[in-house]
Amino acid sequence: MPITKNVVRKNLFRDSVQLLQLSEEAKKIEGVINAAVVMGSDLNKELLEREGILTEEGKGATENDMIIAVKVEDGVDVDSVVAKIEELLTAPSAAKETYYYSIDSAIEHLPDANLALVSVPGQYAKEVVKEFLDRGIHVHLFSDHVPLEDEIELKRLAAEKGLLVMGPEAGTSIINGVAVAFANVVERGPIGIVAAAGTGLQEVSVLISRAGSGITHGIGVGGRDVKTAVGGIMTLLSLRAFEADPATEVITIVSKPPSPDVQDKIVEFIASEGKKKYVTCFIGGKLYSIPEKAKGRLIQTRTLHAAALEAVKLAESKAEAPSTVFLPPEELVKIVDEEVRKLGSDQQYIRGLFTGGTLTYESMVIFKELLGDVWSNTPLKNEFMLPDPWKSKEHSLIDLGEEEFTAGRAHPMIDPTIRVQRIIDEAKDPEVAVLMLDFVLGYGSHPDPAGAHLDALKKAKEIASQRGNHLVILAHVVGTEKDPQKVLEQEEKLKRAGVIVLPTNALMALAAAMIATRRTDKSLVENFYQSFLRGVE
Amino acid sequence: MEGKGEQVDNVLKLFRSEVKIVNVGLEYFYKELKKQGVTAVHVAWQPKPKLEKDLEDILSKIL
Repeated sequence: MPITKNVVRKNLFRDSVQLLQLSEEAKKIEGVINAAVVMGSDLNKELLEREGILTEEGKGATENDMIIAVKVEDGVDVDSVVAKIEELLTAPSAAKETYYYSIDSAIEHLPDANLALVSVPGQYAKEVVKEFLDRGIHVHLFSDHVPLEDEIELKRLAAEKGLLVMGPEAGTSIINGVAVAFANVVERGPIGIVAAAGTGLQEVSVLISRAGSGITHGIGVGGRDVKTAVGGIMTLLSLRAFEADPATEVITIVSKPPSPDVQDKIVEFIASEGKKKYVTCFIGGKLYSIPEKAKGRLIQTRTLHAAALEAVKLAESKAEAPSTVFLPPEELVKIVDEEVRKLGSDQQYIRGLFTGGTLTYESMVIFKELLGDVWSNTPLKNEFMLPDPWKSKEHSLIDLGEEEFTAGRAHPMIDPTIRVQRIIDEAKDPEVAVLMLDFVLGYGSHPDPAGAHLDALKKAKEIASQRGNHLVILAHVVGTEKDPQKVLEQEEKLKRAGVIVLPTNALMALAAAMIATRRTDKSLVENFYQSFLRGVE
Repeated sequence: MEGKGEQVDNVLKLFRSEVKIVNVGLEYFYKELKKQGVTAVHVAWQPKPKLEKDLEDILSKIL
């Protein structure tokens, strides 16, 4: 009989990505059926339980403790397997690397450092970030759970010094072509991006690149920057910097709807201090009236797709945005039509399993107009909050990057474990017509996200087909050919698995809505292209 | 406070310079930076052990 054992190491900390890699190594040890090395958060314990490898000992671990969980084949010495894992744990993680144990000693060895990438737990972020600001170094603050008052204090201090604090919860920045945290390798060009939405920055920078232009820099300011409490401190500093930067000709601002007072400040800045051309993409926000002084050089957009195309249009001084550059309407109708024919009459719901928060949000905004409100763990309206984020109902869009799926774990862009399981769960529901999946490439992300999902996608299709159903799987891959994962290879893998790949997230949402509602009329598509995929001047 | 015109010099300097990064926290990000060929150093940050913090608190009261 297989033996399961948990060993708890009290107060031993390793970060979530190190533990993910360690778990992968542990699974390769001979005689091991399953293994996981995790911090003892409630989420991790729940996942161990689901996998059948949580014991009484593991249950007693706290979030400060590490659990080594193994299940070995009959006859294998479980203690020696645990000992091997502990060896891996204590082995120097990078023997040839020199690591520093204080910020002082690190800077001594890199005295001309000009940017810090900080990903310590949020409650410690303030003291770490201050050390850098005091030394005149800009900061990209990836950490979450940074108290709001700390963010305000840090950003005020930074602004006094003319330094950037990008974040907290900034997933992405691209400075001088360097991908900071989660970011793609995009073309350089005349468009500057300021984003309070991480995957929003990734999608827009990638689409700009794929539409033939490029960016100077992409500054992620963190979602709260555009809310009243923070007051847009870093958004405005970034806009001023781009105004003064000779290489930047067009400035694109990407965000969920800012607080009205912050949006007013941004628009007022563009009108009175701005001289350059602007595109705003306040996803889900209401259209605002463009001040006289900004007319002709400010375009509002509703989707990331439109923001990218309008920015390219302005950068190339063209009269028309190439609105159909990614997929002509007639081709979309053809794709949808073919899929609709294969669906059973009970199949009516969409299940979106996203790794990107902004992509989830953008899809919900589009669905609101095409389908009405949908269920989510991050809904547009509170009454559509899923009672249990692990169980979808009707149309559901899940942001797997949210706290309930990531506490003490690596982000789903790195660790596909939870999504892979969820794909199977969704396929078992006979009322599901469409699965929507985003695959975010670039530095920071999994080395082969498409590959890591292929078995689950195949199995999901099989589960549906055993019922006599056809499960439509739509995907959008956020990436470029210069990304380490190479977008075309990733798309090809998905297509070979029977997945329909859409070139933008907005088009994936449109296709999903059309398939689920069996609407294949060209007028719907044309209206959508007009209202969602173009800007308003 | 919100970065007036003259206060963007530091940001422009960053825009014009080779980006050199001190990574604090996830070692993974350091490795991703090195893969890109970025000049970077890593600080192997650990939360202070609770005991040490308690001791510090006591010491700060005594001293």
